Amino acid sequence: MLAKSSSFSALHEENAELRARLDEANEMLGAIRGGEVDALVVQSADGPKVYALQGQDAENNRFRGEMLAQVSDAVIAADSEERVIYLNLAAERLYGFDASEALGRPLSEIYQSRWPQLEDRAVAKTILDKCGEWRGECIHILRDGREMNVEAGAAVLRDTTGLSAGTLSVVRDVTGRKRHEDEVLVSEVRYRRLFEAARDGILILDPATGKIIDANPVVTQMLGCPDTRLVGKTLFEVGLLTDDGVGHDMVAELKRANQIRFENLPFESPSGRHHDVEFVANLYSENDRPVIQCNIRDITERRRSEEHVKLLMAEVNHRAKNMLAVVQAVAYQTAKFGDPATLADRLSGRIGALAAGQDLLVKSQWQGVEVADLITAQLAHFKDLMGARVLADGPPALLTAEAAQGIGMALHELATNAAKYGALSNSEGRVRIVWQIIDDPKPTFSISWLEEGGPRAEASGRRGFGQIVMGRMAEAAVQGVARITYGAGGLAWTLTAPLDDALATAKVGP
Amino acid sequence: MSPRANERQARILIVEDEPMLAFVLEEVLIDEGFEIAGVAGRLETALAMIESEPFDVAILDANLAGVSAGPAASALTARGTPFIVVSGYLPEQQQSAFSGAPRLQKPCRPDALIAALRGILPSQ
Repeated sequence: MLAKSSSFSALHEENAELRARLDEANEMLGAIRGGEVDALVVQSADGPKVYALQGQDAENNRFRGEMLAQVSDAVIAADSEERVIYLNLAAERLYGFDASEALGRPLSEIYQSRWPQLEDRAVAKTILDKCGEWRGECIHILRDGREMNVEAGAAVLRDTTGLSAGTLSVVRDVTGRKRHEDEVLVSEVRYRRLFEAARDGILILDPATGKIIDANPVVTQMLGCPDTRLVGKTLFEVGLLTDDGVGHDMVAELKRANQIRFENLPFESPSGRHHDVEFVANLYSENDRPVIQCNIRDITERRRSEEHVKLLMAEVNHRAKNMLAVVQAVAYQTAKFGDPATLADRLSGRIGALAAGQDLLVKSQWQGVEVADLITAQLAHFKDLMGARVLADGPPALLTAEAAQGIGMALHELATNAAKYGALSNSEGRVRIVWQIIDDPKPTFSISWLEEGGPRAEASGRRGFGQIVMGRMAEAAVQGVARITYGAGGLAWTLTAPLDDALATAKVGP
Repeated sequence: MSPRANERQARILIVEDEPMLAFVLEEVLIDEGFEIAGVAGRLETALAMIESEPFDVAILDANLAGVSAGPAASALTARGTPFIVVSGYLPEQQQSAFSGAPRLQKPCRPDALIAALRGILPSQ
């Protein structure tokens, strides 16, 4: 990302400048020490002052002290026994010692060194001994325990005979810079990770050229090519925009409005699959350099699920209206036959039977209804008799939605009829509900309602709505045949249907 | 209202997957003096009847056991037979195959259906 390169380059420049200054100071010290300099001009408040460097007079010494005091880096010198023999103003400030209190003390009381690697100390010492100078980074621990990242240069001080007389160090506190570098690094890692792990595609463009600078994995996946092949191309070239003009307009529009949004950009992946993408481009400034960030979200799935929800809503509406139409039809028919005094009761019973069937269908997500569950639901009024006077027996069988409604309504009518006139109207009659799947000669489903021990059943002269429901309604629901016979002990009803029309999973046998 | 004496009875095809509705429709139409050409609860049955049965008008449920009755509408249009669409869907949810035909929303009143039916009966 750009943030990284710009911050790093700024730090790099600053660092280089510091090094140059450090070199300058060291060079000057070396020159003075080597007697190569005859005189120095120092700008002071009273105007330029010329210091002659020849001779060991007091003026020269005064000059050296003043000059070192001017250096903004800490300068500290120690003798061969590592006792402080000199420190400048910056060193006094840096280490928190007055010159008077520091002079003569062991260097180790001014600061302790800590090295990034254990062997670094030995390496530094070797370099210093061999080359006469060393430059590098380490950590100084101050007397108050504070740790300070320093960039230091050390040089061996030699007496007039050329023997080592101690060390001169120039030290710069780089803790702030180190911390900043560290922060930039942490930030880079953190945001790079977000960039890499984002679920949206992210592209960074150069507004000047409209070309891609960076692309995250989602984009490379979306476009089906590695980011190395994306970088340097325009949106049009990578196939994200179908018209190059749009890309140019986008840059112009972004400069005006800072953000552009395409709610639904059709886009074809390299594999030829159609995608709908939401495309948002923003113009940002990164350290005063403008960049365009594009967020690309694949909304194909979202749109598909929106379509699906729409379809479901239409389906729910259709089913609700259909059910109301059925209720209306039932109401007309219920009113047409039978005693007006019992109309409300009969109608409620039938609407209840429709509702019970709906409940079962919804529970199975419209997949179908088990016959045993349908019987339990439709004969809920007779649950005390279940297993005693009402016996249900048959294999697992999942009825289709239509079959469940047709057979359910028939069961409701049969039970109502039985309670009024049939085997459930006295205290000893029984009903057996049996169903079976027959494979021969054709796969067939059949269900029977068999009454025994009830009053003799007679076919009534007038066919009521109940008979219609048990008869042709049930037949139409399963494309089957219903047969009603009237016997001495009650009524017998059998519905036979092709297996495919009655059962949702038309499988025969185990 | 019953058909005028000199009218021959108009033959109606009922395409409706809900047995209860088909039955009640049949009753209402017979009471009104129409003749029932047939009842189809499935698209295939409906298409077969449109192909072979003589009838004057069709009443079409837009959805037959989860399948769109659109092909039946197209077949009727091709045959030049007028039809009424009865549906629980909203008009905007309706397929284009049904456009042009009178629409009735489920549940609809029997008299509204009869009136719509008479409105599209071919003149004799």
